[in-house]
Amino acid sequence: MVTLELNQPGKTVLMMGDEAIARGAIEAGVDFCASYPGTPATEITESLARVADRFNIYVEWSTNEIVAFEAATAASLAGLRALVAMKQMGVNVCADFLMTVNLAGTNGGLVLAACDDPSAISSSNEQDSRSYARYADLPLLEPADFQEAKDMTKWAFELSEKLGLPCILRSVTRLSHSRGNVKLGELPEKKRTAKFEGVYISGAFAVAQHAALHQKLEQAREEFESSPFNFYVGSRKAKFVIVTSGSGWLYSREAVAALGLENKVGILKIGTTWPLPEKFIIDHLKNVTEILIIEEVDPFLEQNLKILLAEQAKTLGPIEVYGAKSGHRPPFGELNQDRVTTALASIKGLQPKTRDVKYVEKAKEALAYIPPRMPTFCTGCPHRASLWAIKSALKLDGRDGFVTGDIGCYSIGAGPAGFFQLKTIHCMGAGIGLANGFGKLDRFAFNQPVIAVCGDSTFYHAAIPALINARVNNSNVLMVILDNGGTAMTGFQPHPGSGCDALGRPAPTVEIENICKAIGVEVRVRDPFEISQAVQELYDMLQENGPRVMVFRRRCFRIEAKEKLQEKYYVDQSKCIGDDCGCARFCSRVFNCPGIIWDQEAQKAKIDEMVCTGCGVCATLCPRGAIMVRGAAS
Amino acid sequence: MEAGKSSSDLEQEVFSQDLCTSCGACVNICPYIKVVKDKVAVIEPCGLTEGKCYDFCPRTLTDIAALDKSVFGKTRTDYSLGPYISVEMAQAKDSEVRCRAQYGGVVSALIKYALDTGEISNAVLTRPFDVAMMPASTLVEEGNQMAEFAGSNYVSSATLAKMNEAAKQGKDSLGLVGIPCQVIALRKMQSSKHDTGAKGVKLVIGLFCTWALSYKGFSEFLKGKVDLSKVRRIDIPPPPANIMVVETAAGDLRFSLDEVRKFIKPTCGVCYDMTSEFADVSVGMVEGIEDWNTLIVRTPAGKKFIDKAKKAGVLNTRPLEQARLNHLKEASSIKKKRAVDAIQKRTNDKKNLLYLRLSAQEKKKYV
Repeated sequence: MVTLELNQPGKTVLMMGDEAIARGAIEAGVDFCASYPGTPATEITESLARVADRFNIYVEWSTNEIVAFEAATAASLAGLRALVAMKQMGVNVCADFLMTVNLAGTNGGLVLAACDDPSAISSSNEQDSRSYARYADLPLLEPADFQEAKDMTKWAFELSEKLGLPCILRSVTRLSHSRGNVKLGELPEKKRTAKFEGVYISGAFAVAQHAALHQKLEQAREEFESSPFNFYVGSRKAKFVIVTSGSGWLYSREAVAALGLENKVGILKIGTTWPLPEKFIIDHLKNVTEILIIEEVDPFLEQNLKILLAEQAKTLGPIEVYGAKSGHRPPFGELNQDRVTTALASIKGLQPKTRDVKYVEKAKEALAYIPPRMPTFCTGCPHRASLWAIKSALKLDGRDGFVTGDIGCYSIGAGPAGFFQLKTIHCMGAGIGLANGFGKLDRFAFNQPVIAVCGDSTFYHAAIPALINARVNNSNVLMVILDNGGTAMTGFQPHPGSGCDALGRPAPTVEIENICKAIGVEVRVRDPFEISQAVQELYDMLQENGPRVMVFRRRCFRIEAKEKLQEKYYVDQSKCIGDDCGCARFCSRVFNCPGIIWDQEAQKAKIDEMVCTGCGVCATLCPRGAIMVRGAAS
Repeated sequence: MEAGKSSSDLEQEVFSQDLCTSCGACVNICPYIKVVKDKVAVIEPCGLTEGKCYDFCPRTLTDIAALDKSVFGKTRTDYSLGPYISVEMAQAKDSEVRCRAQYGGVVSALIKYALDTGEISNAVLTRPFDVAMMPASTLVEEGNQMAEFAGSNYVSSATLAKMNEAAKQGKDSLGLVGIPCQVIALRKMQSSKHDTGAKGVKLVIGLFCTWALSYKGFSEFLKGKVDLSKVRRIDIPPPPANIMVVETAAGDLRFSLDEVRKFIKPTCGVCYDMTSEFADVSVGMVEGIEDWNTLIVRTPAGKKFIDKAKKAGVLNTRPLEQARLNHLKEASSIKKKRAVDAIQKRTNDKKNLLYLRLSAQEKKKYV
């Protein structure tokens, strides 16, 4: 039995932040969950999918975030409790619906878990999604630890139902993806049935609805004034207070302890950051002369708090505010204990307590042993072959063609792993969108061919309107869809082409090439491992005008290698002539698959059998034919 | 050979100057240089300072006298046709072969004979209309496959790339049919210090060539007018017709040669060799006579082979009239003179002739 299913109220278990959010939803009796995968939010939905049958929850991986949000909202409108989880950029995809569902309102509890990725560890941007709450006038909750991740999620459903609004729950990577103790609550008995009633129309009554929305927000503020997720620790006499939210809470506590300031510095921890619990905050800042605001990424709390302080200037008197604006915390990048300690120490005129000198030295020593590594594709990854084919075709074409990139594993093709082929990367679907424009510049003497690369999951998610646009405007663009059979980067969740649902059960498929054909563009499907054919056909397609699609179809090798035993490759060192070859170590230096290494002793190439997945592409590229299948050697 | 030249130099001096002949000599000897259709490119600089690719290219330094010595053991005395033992007219004795052939069917007959008798074990040939009118170089083992390879196309394919591939597969005792630039590159490979696939080539049949068309330009020109996959034969009737005839299943199309000349590869303008001067035997048309070829025997090995073939009754031959020989020499000389002029126009250099190094006598005649 997985931890999520445990029916032992009061038991403390170790849980990942995302699991805690899922458990919170289960304890709230969630009925419906729809999401699109995205780090660091993915595990929320994956967790629910694992227990979907046990708790009678409908769980789906949707085609994109806005569809997921709309589907979840439908469940809410039918009186059910629904959760939708996404990474920060997914919230942008939802923005259109968000700015109308806030006016039209909801029925059953509806929670949008927005998981931000400070420092853009697994993202193409760094974004603080909290501003959406202020923008859309929606209540915002920020869990600061694992227990709160669970408890706040549960409460968010109740709050949503009370207000008739979706609630936004903001997590960050460090919470979503690390583990901590969570005391379990009770599992409810679920009895809800779905029934749609009423009218939910935004537009006709938009202004009246907007006015009502502000009233609901005031109602939320009232709720927040007494929320247990807002509290104060430290001496009530402290003149210096850290005001913090989210991940900043634990860092702040550690910083205060590290500097031994427990008696002098209080911490005001806010869990409900929009709208602010104003009375609660004013009450705790009455005798305070200095505050340091600690939060992750944007100065969201800082700016809202400053407005409050200005409004309350008479009551509170002058208060010195430290934070992002004062330069004590950068408004970008991930927070950590050191950053907070350094900020606090500099204000207090203390030496920041750094780590043990010996520890630091040892750590530096250890660092020297770590070889420098650029992000690379896995061994056997079809993207390496696809991008080599693209590079070859563009070079053969000779018109200075280039690639507009998109979001997926292949994004690292912008670096050496993909031979520096991707020249633009923005949001999902932007590759083909940009290519549309480039493809219409011919009257301005533009003659560079443009290839838009796009993953399979990305194609369904965001690329289809742009391809339609290319068709109707006859844009000169070659779209290369890198179809590896799933949403690989986030852990191989299924997409509309995968043939299975979120629970792994068979599902209908929507074929990429059928969509392309219906749009009316020429489409070819090829295996990128047949590299010389792939190069030739891409070259041919580059010579044509108008929109064209090449689907490079080859399953992600991480999955393929698990499913069936792969062939073993080795370098026949009697055939490899090392540096005499003239290939200048092509396999281990340029093609650079991690499965091919340089045998220093023999001064020849060698396959690292531990990592080689047996795709065999290197064997087709070796000019000496020295890379062989084991057992197939002549 | 110049030392210390790399694929990057090849790219700069040849590819980016539109001088590549797409002969394929540099393809399939490393993972970096690739060909698609008649387009060759360095996909990624290999980083080495010296490259076989550079040495083998027919548009990098080509010393005619040095090549003469390495192929024939002596330098030429005929500055129009290059070294030769004999020139005559010939045709395939087999009328079926002749029927399919562009002219006299000599090349088809000779290769079939060479394969059948084991003179060579494989032949690198060009199928003139493979896909959408692009010719394809192919490795052939059986003499009875020859039918597919009869006829001329005016687009060239990377024949030597196929030869390199064959060598990689361990094939030796090869025969090769090529146009002059391919034959020059092949001879450069054979005379190089490197171990190359060209060393397994035992019989070189060179074709006459005045120019080749760029596939991209020519195919785009034809695309709107004809289904490229239906093209069966392309012919340029002798002057003064000044036309090209494209024969398809649906009938013939005629174009003015002036229209087609726009697609001649720029590199053909600097070509100094019309008759495949470094081949064992060279074969071309006889102006005005449809079912005969001109056959030039150049090397002793070539002579030995032709003598055997004649004895075996593969060919009909007859002497080439002096007037026709003179005419051939004149045509070849005109090509040489044009090439030298074009080179000088390109470079504005009176002394150095780009890739070409000529003897004092040749310079006197053409520069």
